[in-house]
Amino acid sequence: MTTANIEVLSPDTGTVEIAITGEVDLSNCEVIQDDIFAAITNHLVTVRLDLAGVTYLDSAGLRILFALVERLRLLQTECQIMAPFGSASRRVIELSGLGSLVELRP
Amino acid sequence: MADVMLLLMPRSVDSGGNAESRLRRIEAVTDSTLAHLDLEQLLPELLKRTRDLLDADTATVLLLDSGGEHLVASASSGIEEEVRQGVRIPIGEGFAGHIAASRKPLVIQQVDPTTVVNPLLWEKGIRSLAGVPLLAGGEMLGVLHVGTLDSTPFTEEDVEILQVAGDRLALATRTGLTRGERAAASALQRTLLPARLPTIPGLQLSARYAPGEESGVSGDWYDVFTLPSGWLCVTVGDVVGRGLPAATVMTRVRTATRSYALDSDSPTEVLARLDRHMRHFEPQTMVTMAYAMWEPSLSRLHLSLAGHLAPVLALPGERGELIDLPIDPPIGIGTAPVQRRSGTIDVPQGATVLFYTDGLVERRNRTLDDGLRLLCEAVTTGPTEQLCSRVMSRLVGTSPTDDDIAVLALRRQEAEELREISFDLDAVPEVLADVRATLRRWLPSAGASPDEVGDMLVVVGEACSNVIEHAYGPLGGTLSLRFEAREGEVIATVGDTGHWRSPRGTHRGKGTELMRQLSDDLRFEHGPGGTLVHIRKNVTGGDPA
Repeated sequence: MTTANIEVLSPDTGTVEIAITGEVDLSNCEVIQDDIFAAITNHLVTVRLDLAGVTYLDSAGLRILFALVERLRLLQTECQIMAPFGSASRRVIELSGLGSLVELRP
Repeated sequence: MADVMLLLMPRSVDSGGNAESRLRRIEAVTDSTLAHLDLEQLLPELLKRTRDLLDADTATVLLLDSGGEHLVASASSGIEEEVRQGVRIPIGEGFAGHIAASRKPLVIQQVDPTTVVNPLLWEKGIRSLAGVPLLAGGEMLGVLHVGTLDSTPFTEEDVEILQVAGDRLALATRTGLTRGERAAASALQRTLLPARLPTIPGLQLSARYAPGEESGVSGDWYDVFTLPSGWLCVTVGDVVGRGLPAATVMTRVRTATRSYALDSDSPTEVLARLDRHMRHFEPQTMVTMAYAMWEPSLSRLHLSLAGHLAPVLALPGERGELIDLPIDPPIGIGTAPVQRRSGTIDVPQGATVLFYTDGLVERRNRTLDDGLRLLCEAVTTGPTEQLCSRVMSRLVGTSPTDDDIAVLALRRQEAEELREISFDLDAVPEVLADVRATLRRWLPSAGASPDEVGDMLVVVGEACSNVIEHAYGPLGGTLSLRFEAREGEVIATVGDTGHWRSPRGTHRGKGTELMRQLSDDLRFEHGPGGTLVHIRKNVTGGDPA
């Protein structure tokens, strides 16, 4: 069984920080996508997604990220993805070309 | 008794009151042809004969239920609705309850709410009742009673005949219950002991379960399961008691243990919670068990013992020894909650750990210490099937056993055995985490650096996800995996037996791209029998195992 946790913080009214820890694959990607989307309201200015605690991510997780980026562009909301160098998700995200669509932060 | 017969004319129609006719009447209910009937057939037949013999309008058997505090209508001739309505009579109350409590026959001629609990009897218009206890081997199993619509009383001879029929019924019931309980207990054991032990690349597992000669199947069990975290749990235990009651408690203990294991990575915590659970829900029960958690690397196990004998550890080239760990009190009854202790045991490659229940070493004709010494002598590391056979043959041999026996052997495979591993899984998303846990264990031993492990996890994960999402229809299918360590590279093959379908949906198809980027060679082999994905990845992290 694949498990991941999602923690949502609101440092100010315009920003939401969503921190994911654990593993993301085909078996839990739908739940995670729903949780992430549910944490985002239309009055937000910035969405910060923290992937530092993710220990496994593959194309199932990338699908969530691409869908999120696309959705936020429509909403004209800024999207930042935190994936430290050397983390499990960094390499996969870099190879996917997502970096050209969104700001990748260490 | 003969005097009474003269005083009161028995009810029975063909009774002449002489010894010959009495014998004939007794034969009707002890007839040897009855012996060939199952309990289900015997009950109605015997009830019918009893009813005819005593010229009664109803004959009913009530059996003691498993709680031991109620009689439940089990068979009836004349008032069949008693059985259909599941009539329950508390022991000590009313006519039947009084017979059960006193274990003595009873005759009454007033049938109303003051004498009888079951309203069906007076609603039917029953005026006269006679009943006897069903006793077998000193045990009270239930009550047999007959009733009539007219008020002629039952005589002592009638009661005597009724008791003969009752004894016959009690014997058949006892045999039927014993046989039924044994069958149920062994069915429980069969469904619960893992039919196929889980495949854990890196570990070889074998197990034995043997019911005791006297007691049959009881409350011993073994269980092996993995956790989402990649840890492996092993439990071997013994519910104190015999037969079906012990086996049913065992099923609950086993399930409760699995539940607590899912939420904790500490053996002492799991046992403490289980202890609390048992004290509350099964207060009359005592359980001994060994609970072990294997680290994902398989190189160490964490063990806690609840009143259970210590497992045997055999290192390569050495004789087995009992693991040196203090034994804490058992789970459940008789002990106050305790601070439990656990130990960490190194399990190098090639070492074997053998778990067992006390039935293996306890014999009437030798001391426990002798049994344990014999066991340690029999345990050396090596293929686990042979080890289990050897242990059973040396310790059990041909002598009958009082108690049931469970044995579970686990051997950490040598690097050489692990150059190539292969296994099949159901093609469902839930297995992806297991595949990663296996690879995280195996890849470092195949020479992969941490970065290379990370890359390989994604490449193999993508290939598996493809099979799960695209290879099969709703019936599902098999995901076959094979890994091989070679000089400076690892080879992975992911196979299915389905029909290839291109990935669908938005943002799909990224997987194949990722696989190419993270591996050194990738080849898809589509055939009529399915698809094989061949993956090669160079490794630099050290010597291949």
